[in-house]
Amino acid sequence: MRSQKRRIAVVPLGEVPGIVPKSIAAHILGYLNVNAEVLSPLRHPDYAYDPRRLQYNAGAVLKALESHSFGRYEKVIGVLDVDLFVPIFTYVFGEAKQGGKYALVSLNRLRKGHGEGAFVPEPIYLERAAKVALHELGHLYDLHHCSDSRCLMHFSGGLEYLDRIPLYFCRYCSVFMRDALSRPRHRRSKG
Amino acid sequence: MADKMSIMIVDDEKIIRESFLYWFEKYGHRVEAAASGMEALEKLEKSPFEVLFVDIKMPGMNGIELLGKVKEEYPDTTVIIITAYGSIETAVEAMKMGAADYLLKPFKPEQLSLVMEKVTQQRKLVSEYRYVKGRLEEFTRFENIIGQSPAMQEVFDLIPEVAQSDSSVLIMGETGTGKELVAKAIHAKSKRRHLPFIAINCGAIPDSLLESELFGHEKGAFTGATHPRKGFLEVVSGGTLFLDEIGEISPKMQVDLLRVLEEKKIIRIGERQAIDVDFRLISATRRDLEKEVAEGSFREDFFYRINVIMIRIPPLRQRKEDIPLLVEHFLQKYSRETVKQVDHISADAMRVLKAYDWPGNVRELENAIERAVVLSKARTLKREDFAFLRSPPEPVLKSRSLKEVEREHIQRILEDCDWNVTRASKVLGINRVTLHKMIKRHNLKRP
Repeated sequence: MRSQKRRIAVVPLGEVPGIVPKSIAAHILGYLNVNAEVLSPLRHPDYAYDPRRLQYNAGAVLKALESHSFGRYEKVIGVLDVDLFVPIFTYVFGEAKQGGKYALVSLNRLRKGHGEGAFVPEPIYLERAAKVALHELGHLYDLHHCSDSRCLMHFSGGLEYLDRIPLYFCRYCSVFMRDALSRPRHRRSKG
Repeated sequence: MADKMSIMIVDDEKIIRESFLYWFEKYGHRVEAAASGMEALEKLEKSPFEVLFVDIKMPGMNGIELLGKVKEEYPDTTVIIITAYGSIETAVEAMKMGAADYLLKPFKPEQLSLVMEKVTQQRKLVSEYRYVKGRLEEFTRFENIIGQSPAMQEVFDLIPEVAQSDSSVLIMGETGTGKELVAKAIHAKSKRRHLPFIAINCGAIPDSLLESELFGHEKGAFTGATHPRKGFLEVVSGGTLFLDEIGEISPKMQVDLLRVLEEKKIIRIGERQAIDVDFRLISATRRDLEKEVAEGSFREDFFYRINVIMIRIPPLRQRKEDIPLLVEHFLQKYSRETVKQVDHISADAMRVLKAYDWPGNVRELENAIERAVVLSKARTLKREDFAFLRSPPEPVLKSRSLKEVEREHIQRILEDCDWNVTRASKVLGINRVTLHKMIKRHNLKRP
């Protein structure tokens, strides 16, 4: 049964290919049976640019997202086409605070193919973006990384790992996700 | 789901601590952060952590110093060094000091994932090894008798040999050395192991009562004997009788027991009919029975009858290398029994325990650990927790003069105070000038 009251926002940050947020929203609806809406783009996150690393600080982008009002949406997924980092890591595909409200999906590295200078076909690119988005959404609903390599919540540090994990949750994570989605939606998120 | 671990991040940069926290929260680990080495040690004292991520460069105590302290106090804790400055020398030094791995900031997410996988595997292997080792020890060592000193190894070697025969055994050792445990181990390894083991402390029972306890009595044999009763020599039937403090029994009882050992028959008090008995006798004493035999206060024939095989258990002060092993055993035992997380002992406290003479031997050590665990408010036992251990004052010999006693006392206090005259004069309750005069008068010199 579809959770009618829940709404998830997919919001582009700066310029991103229009099909990606739509594809993410469709996957959320299809896999989790939760309404997902694509919102108008917000400004490009130049405020989060780190000139030393030539990358964008995921923490700063999340903080900026928190300052916007997304009152009717339970969770918000920001989609951006820049290379994201967190201070300890060289890069991240996505970022979300465990049990929080906001997540990010970076498309910057998702186009790359397995050879030097190669690019993957669009369906794979869209599938990668959907995987990262659903994985981060799992964290927003308090799902942990899963040790089962055949689960969407399994940690994938590189593209080859990301391509290896399936586009669905394992039995246990599905139960946790269903349980999280069946809880009353007015519980406050961690931030 | 992956194994959940307790992890602490030690880094002076808040942003790094937060990054790690958010990351490990995604795995469901218990994560805490400390901004300095001192804060990390305080947290470690309160609760155990399995893995520590330690930044090398921190103000105050740096990562390498913290690593050294953690490995000394909590050797089971895995330490991963994190550094933004890739110096091979520092990394090598850290690995030599016991760090499990090191990461150069920033690192790829999969690098951290690999390190965590490695740590999980290592900890799993260690815990499996400990389990197997523990199981193996159950088969190879004698339960509750602990020691790796050569003196104790000799005792361990003797136990299975002695257990094979039926000869009488005399165990000699000071109070608290574990004589009864050795007796039980012999019984447990002998062919009589499925039959009773009865222990009687001869020193605690009056002679008349001991006779009745051992031989039994008939109804009306003496005032109060309202029912017939079997003695322990009968009840033990086929098992092992352990007579502790055998040196305390009267000459009459020595004769009675000698007869039983020779004839393997007893006669209940008030009865005429002899009853066949079958038991193995193990006796124990803390007294020097050989000397007492020579002095004529203990029967020679009885001594040789009970002393077919002699096992001497060394006092704890002669096998101090066993103290750490015993301390670890008692710590585990009492932290389990008292449900307190007191599972470590500081190096300083261990030095105190090793320096002490333990007149009450292993029993006294066990009591000391139990007391310290019960009263401790921290996870690690410290030197102060054993402040109650005081060597008994040596008896002052009548033949020594006041001058000699004064000289020795001053010398001891000076040594205790590391020859710091100011401190020593405070302890002695005299001023420094007087103490200097006394040092000169007694011709005391710093070694």
